[in-house]
Amino acid sequence: MAYIPEREPFSAWNKLIMRYRLFSGSWAYLLQRLTGIGLVAYLFLHIWALTSLTRGRAAFAAEMVTFTTPLFKFLEWALGALIMFHAFNGIRIAIVDLANGARYHKKLLAAVWVTGIAVVIMMFFLIFSNTLFAK
Amino acid sequence: MADPLQPPGNVLLQKEGMNTNAFLRNYARPRKSGAPAWWLQRVTGLALVILTVGHYILMHYNPVSGHDYGETASRLASPWFKGIYLGFITIGMYHGLQGCWNIVRDFKLKPMIGLTIFGVLVIAGIIFVAIGWNTILTFDPLKP
Repeated sequence: MAYIPEREPFSAWNKLIMRYRLFSGSWAYLLQRLTGIGLVAYLFLHIWALTSLTRGRAAFAAEMVTFTTPLFKFLEWALGALIMFHAFNGIRIAIVDLANGARYHKKLLAAVWVTGIAVVIMMFFLIFSNTLFAK
Repeated sequence: MADPLQPPGNVLLQKEGMNTNAFLRNYARPRKSGAPAWWLQRVTGLALVILTVGHYILMHYNPVSGHDYGETASRLASPWFKGIYLGFITIGMYHGLQGCWNIVRDFKLKPMIGLTIFGVLVIAGIIFVAIGWNTILTFDPLKP
Protein backbone atom coordinates (compact mmCIF):
# COMPACT_ATOMS: atom_id res chain seq x y z
CA MET A 1 0.00 0.00 0.00
CA ALA A 2 1.14 3.45 -0.87
CA TYR A 3 1.70 5.83 2.00
CA ILE A 4 -0.90 8.61 1.86
CA PRO A 5 0.13 11.51 4.09
CA GLU A 6 -2.58 13.22 6.10
CA ARG A 7 -3.28 16.79 5.15
CA GLU A 8 -4.94 19.73 6.79
CA PRO A 9 -7.80 20.61 4.45
CA PHE A 10 -8.58 24.28 4.83
CA SER A 11 -11.42 24.33 2.34
CA ALA A 12 -13.59 21.97 0.34
CA TRP A 13 -11.92 23.06 -2.88
CA ASN A 14 -8.46 22.45 -1.42
CA LYS A 15 -9.57 19.00 -0.34
CA LEU A 16 -10.93 18.28 -3.83
CA ILE A 17 -7.76 19.47 -5.56
CA MET A 18 -5.40 17.78 -3.10
CA ARG A 19 -7.16 14.49 -3.81
CA TYR A 20 -5.62 14.60 -7.30
CA ARG A 21 -2.11 15.41 -6.11
CA LEU A 22 -1.18 12.01 -4.86
CA PHE A 23 -0.82 9.82 -7.94
CA SER A 24 0.15 10.48 -11.54
CA GLY A 25 -2.77 8.36 -12.77
CA SER A 26 -5.26 10.65 -11.03
CA TRP A 27 -3.93 13.58 -13.01
CA ALA A 28 -4.20 11.54 -16.21
CA TYR A 29 -7.83 10.71 -15.35
CA LEU A 30 -8.67 14.37 -14.70
CA LEU A 31 -6.83 15.64 -17.78
CA GLN A 32 -8.47 12.97 -19.96
CA ARG A 33 -11.89 14.31 -18.94
CA LEU A 34 -10.98 18.01 -19.26
CA THR A 35 -9.37 17.54 -22.70
CA GLY A 36 -12.37 15.41 -23.73
CA ILE A 37 -14.83 18.16 -22.82
CA GLY A 38 -12.66 20.67 -24.68
CA LEU A 39 -12.53 18.48 -27.78
CA VAL A 40 -16.32 17.94 -27.85
CA ALA A 41 -16.81 21.72 -27.60
CA TYR A 42 -14.34 22.15 -30.47
CA LEU A 43 -16.09 19.45 -32.54
CA PHE A 44 -19.38 21.39 -32.39
CA LEU A 45 -17.60 24.64 -33.36
CA HIS A 46 -15.70 22.85 -36.12
CA ILE A 47 -18.81 21.35 -37.73
CA TRP A 48 -20.59 24.70 -37.47
CA ALA A 49 -17.67 26.70 -38.92
CA LEU A 50 -17.24 24.39 -41.92
CA THR A 51 -20.84 24.90 -43.11
CA SER A 52 -19.29 27.76 -45.11
CA LEU A 53 -18.11 25.05 -47.57
CA THR A 54 -21.70 24.74 -48.79
CA ARG A 55 -21.86 28.49 -49.51
CA GLY A 56 -19.11 28.43 -52.10
CA ARG A 57 -15.49 29.46 -52.66
CA ALA A 58 -15.86 33.15 -51.70
CA ALA A 59 -17.59 32.47 -48.36
CA PHE A 60 -14.96 29.85 -47.42
CA ALA A 61 -12.07 32.14 -48.38
CA ALA A 62 -13.58 35.01 -46.35
CA GLU A 63 -13.79 32.73 -43.30
CA MET A 64 -10.23 31.44 -43.75
CA VAL A 65 -8.87 35.00 -43.59
CA THR A 66 -9.72 34.91 -39.87
CA PHE A 67 -8.59 31.33 -39.33
CA THR A 68 -5.10 31.92 -40.77
CA THR A 69 -4.22 34.82 -38.45
CA PRO A 70 -1.34 34.14 -36.01
CA LEU A 71 -3.76 33.96 -33.06
CA PHE A 72 -5.86 31.21 -34.67
CA LYS A 73 -2.71 29.38 -35.83
CA PHE A 74 -1.53 29.38 -32.22
CA LEU A 75 -4.95 28.16 -31.02
CA GLU A 76 -4.90 25.36 -33.61
CA TRP A 77 -1.46 24.33 -32.37
CA ALA A 78 -2.74 24.37 -28.77
CA LEU A 79 -5.71 22.26 -29.86
CA GLY A 80 -3.17 19.72 -31.09
CA ALA A 81 -1.82 19.41 -27.54
CA LEU A 82 -5.31 18.46 -26.30
CA ILE A 83 -5.71 15.95 -29.15
CA MET A 84 -2.32 14.32 -28.61
CA PHE A 85 -2.77 13.93 -24.84
CA HIS A 86 -6.32 12.59 -25.20
CA ALA A 87 -5.33 10.23 -28.03
CA PHE A 88 -2.17 8.79 -26.46
CA ASN A 89 -3.68 8.52 -22.99
CA GLY A 90 -6.69 6.89 -24.67
CA ILE A 91 -4.38 4.23 -26.10
CA ARG A 92 -3.02 3.74 -22.58
CA ILE A 93 -6.58 3.33 -21.22
CA ALA A 94 -7.36 0.76 -23.91
CA ILE A 95 -4.17 -1.17 -23.07
CA VAL A 96 -5.03 -1.08 -19.36
CA ASP A 97 -8.66 -2.13 -19.94
CA LEU A 98 -8.34 -4.65 -22.78
CA ALA A 99 -4.81 -6.02 -22.15
CA ASN A 100 -2.56 -6.34 -19.09
CA GLY A 101 -1.56 -2.68 -19.08
CA ALA A 102 -2.41 -2.37 -15.39
CA ARG A 103 0.99 -3.99 -14.70
CA TYR A 104 2.93 -1.19 -16.38
CA HIS A 105 0.51 1.75 -16.63
CA LYS A 106 2.99 4.23 -15.10
CA LYS A 107 5.54 3.43 -17.78
CA LEU A 108 2.79 3.86 -20.36
CA LEU A 109 1.95 7.26 -18.86
CA ALA A 110 5.59 8.33 -19.16
CA ALA A 111 5.48 7.20 -22.81
CA VAL A 112 2.25 9.22 -23.29
CA TRP A 113 3.94 12.39 -22.06
CA VAL A 114 7.14 11.85 -24.06
CA THR A 115 5.33 10.97 -27.32
CA GLY A 116 2.74 13.70 -26.85
CA ILE A 117 5.29 16.46 -26.23
CA ALA A 118 7.42 15.24 -29.16
CA VAL A 119 4.46 15.29 -31.56
CA VAL A 120 3.29 18.71 -30.32
CA ILE A 121 6.80 20.16 -30.87
CA MET A 122 6.85 18.55 -34.34
CA MET A 123 3.47 20.15 -35.13
CA PHE A 124 4.83 23.52 -33.97
CA PHE A 125 7.39 23.36 -36.77
CA LEU A 126 4.83 22.16 -39.33
CA ILE A 127 2.37 24.96 -38.48
CA PHE A 128 4.73 27.89 -37.89
CA SER A 129 7.79 27.11 -40.03
CA ASN A 130 6.48 29.05 -43.04
CA THR A 131 5.97 32.22 -40.96
CA LEU A 132 8.88 31.94 -38.50
CA PHE A 133 11.57 30.75 -40.89
CA ALA A 134 10.37 32.45 -44.09
CA LYS A 135 13.13 33.18 -46.56
CA MET B 1 -35.28 -8.24 16.55
CA ALA B 2 -34.38 -8.01 12.87
CA ASP B 3 -31.58 -10.14 11.45
CA PRO B 4 -28.59 -7.74 11.02
CA LEU B 5 -27.25 -9.76 8.06
CA GLN B 6 -30.42 -9.23 6.04
CA PRO B 7 -31.29 -5.92 4.36
CA PRO B 8 -34.04 -3.99 6.16
CA GLY B 9 -37.61 -4.70 5.19
CA ASN B 10 -38.72 -2.94 2.06
CA VAL B 11 -42.21 -1.94 1.03
CA LEU B 12 -41.48 -2.98 -2.56
CA LEU B 13 -40.18 -6.37 -1.42
CA GLN B 14 -43.27 -7.01 0.69
CA LYS B 15 -45.59 -5.92 -2.09
CA GLU B 16 -43.94 -8.19 -4.65
CA GLY B 17 -43.92 -11.03 -2.12
CA MET B 18 -40.31 -11.92 -2.90
CA ASN B 19 -37.42 -13.17 -0.81
CA THR B 20 -34.31 -11.05 -0.38
CA ASN B 21 -32.26 -12.70 -3.13
CA ALA B 22 -34.97 -12.25 -5.73
CA PHE B 23 -35.33 -8.63 -4.60
CA LEU B 24 -31.61 -8.00 -5.06
CA ARG B 25 -31.55 -9.76 -8.42
CA ASN B 26 -34.39 -7.67 -9.75
CA TYR B 27 -34.04 -4.27 -8.10
CA ALA B 28 -30.66 -3.73 -6.49
CA ARG B 29 -28.58 -3.95 -9.64
CA PRO B 30 -28.66 -1.94 -12.89
CA ARG B 31 -31.41 -2.97 -15.27
CA LYS B 32 -29.08 -2.67 -18.23
CA SER B 33 -25.41 -3.50 -18.55
CA GLY B 34 -23.14 -0.62 -19.55
CA ALA B 35 -20.59 -3.04 -21.03
CA PRO B 36 -21.44 -2.51 -24.73
CA ALA B 37 -21.10 1.27 -24.36
CA TRP B 38 -17.85 0.82 -22.43
CA TRP B 39 -16.46 -1.49 -25.15
CA LEU B 40 -17.64 0.79 -27.99
CA GLN B 41 -15.97 3.75 -26.25
CA ARG B 42 -12.61 1.91 -26.42
CA VAL B 43 -13.09 0.71 -30.01
CA THR B 44 -14.27 4.08 -31.39
CA GLY B 45 -11.50 5.73 -29.36
CA LEU B 46 -8.81 3.58 -31.00
CA ALA B 47 -10.28 4.31 -34.45
CA LEU B 48 -10.40 8.02 -33.62
CA VAL B 49 -6.72 8.02 -32.57
CA ILE B 50 -5.81 7.20 -36.17
CA LEU B 51 -8.51 9.39 -37.74
CA THR B 52 -8.06 12.48 -35.55
CA VAL B 53 -4.27 12.52 -35.42
CA GLY B 54 -4.19 11.82 -39.17
CA HIS B 55 -6.74 14.57 -39.81
CA TYR B 56 -4.81 17.05 -37.67
CA ILE B 57 -1.50 16.35 -39.41
CA LEU B 58 -3.15 16.38 -42.86
CA MET B 59 -4.84 19.73 -42.19
CA HIS B 60 -1.58 21.34 -41.00
CA TYR B 61 0.91 19.53 -43.22
CA ASN B 62 1.51 22.74 -45.14
CA PRO B 63 -0.09 26.21 -44.93
CA VAL B 64 -2.69 25.52 -47.63
CA SER B 65 -3.60 21.88 -47.03
CA GLY B 66 -6.28 22.69 -44.46
CA HIS B 67 -7.14 26.30 -45.22
CA ASP B 68 -7.64 26.38 -48.99
CA TYR B 69 -10.87 25.82 -50.93
CA GLY B 70 -9.16 24.13 -53.87
CA GLU B 71 -7.33 21.61 -51.65
CA THR B 72 -10.58 20.80 -49.84
CA ALA B 73 -12.46 20.40 -53.13
CA SER B 74 -9.83 18.05 -54.54
CA ARG B 75 -10.00 15.88 -51.42
CA LEU B 76 -13.81 15.85 -51.41
CA ALA B 77 -13.79 14.70 -55.05
CA SER B 78 -12.84 11.24 -53.77
CA PRO B 79 -15.79 9.07 -52.65
CA TRP B 80 -13.42 7.23 -50.29
CA PHE B 81 -12.54 10.48 -48.54
CA LYS B 82 -16.23 11.40 -48.31
CA GLY B 83 -17.16 8.02 -46.87
CA ILE B 84 -14.35 8.03 -44.32
CA TYR B 85 -15.27 11.56 -43.20
CA LEU B 86 -18.98 10.73 -42.85
CA GLY B 87 -17.90 7.94 -40.52
CA PHE B 88 -15.38 10.20 -38.80
CA ILE B 89 -18.06 12.79 -37.94
CA THR B 90 -20.46 10.13 -36.70
CA ILE B 91 -18.14 8.11 -34.50
CA GLY B 92 -16.39 11.27 -33.30
CA MET B 93 -19.69 12.72 -32.13
CA TYR B 94 -20.76 9.38 -30.61
CA HIS B 95 -17.47 9.04 -28.71
CA GLY B 96 -17.56 12.65 -27.51
CA LEU B 97 -21.15 12.63 -26.29
CA GLN B 98 -20.80 9.16 -24.76
CA GLY B 99 -17.80 10.58 -22.88
CA CYS B 100 -19.84 13.58 -21.69
CA TRP B 101 -22.64 11.29 -20.52
CA ASN B 102 -20.03 9.14 -18.77
CA ILE B 103 -18.88 12.23 -16.82
CA VAL B 104 -22.49 13.25 -16.03
CA ARG B 105 -23.25 9.73 -14.76
CA ASP B 106 -20.47 10.07 -12.17
CA PHE B 107 -22.62 12.64 -10.35
CA LYS B 108 -25.71 11.66 -8.43
CA LEU B 109 -28.39 13.60 -10.24
CA LYS B 110 -32.16 13.67 -9.91
CA PRO B 111 -33.69 11.44 -12.61
CA MET B 112 -35.37 14.34 -14.44
CA ILE B 113 -32.15 16.41 -14.56
CA GLY B 114 -30.20 13.40 -15.82
CA LEU B 115 -32.85 12.67 -18.44
CA THR B 116 -32.83 16.32 -19.57
CA ILE B 117 -29.03 16.34 -19.97
CA PHE B 118 -29.22 13.02 -21.83
CA GLY B 119 -31.89 14.42 -24.16
CA VAL B 120 -29.88 17.59 -24.84
CA LEU B 121 -26.76 15.52 -25.65
CA VAL B 122 -28.64 13.15 -27.98
CA ILE B 123 -30.53 15.91 -29.82
CA ALA B 124 -27.43 18.13 -30.16
CA GLY B 125 -25.48 15.12 -31.45
CA ILE B 126 -28.11 14.21 -34.05
CA ILE B 127 -28.44 17.83 -35.25
CA PHE B 128 -24.69 18.39 -35.58
CA VAL B 129 -24.04 15.04 -37.27
CA ALA B 130 -26.79 15.99 -39.74
CA ILE B 131 -25.12 19.40 -40.32
CA GLY B 132 -21.77 17.72 -40.91
CA TRP B 133 -23.21 15.11 -43.31
CA ASN B 134 -25.06 17.90 -45.13
CA THR B 135 -21.81 19.88 -45.55
CA ILE B 136 -20.03 16.88 -47.08
CA LEU B 137 -22.87 15.53 -49.22
CA THR B 138 -24.13 18.84 -50.65
CA PHE B 139 -20.61 20.23 -51.27
CA ASP B 140 -20.40 21.65 -54.81
CA PRO B 141 -16.82 22.46 -55.92
CA LEU B 142 -18.03 24.63 -58.81
CA LYS B 143 -20.04 27.03 -56.65
CA PRO B 144 -18.40 30.50 -56.83
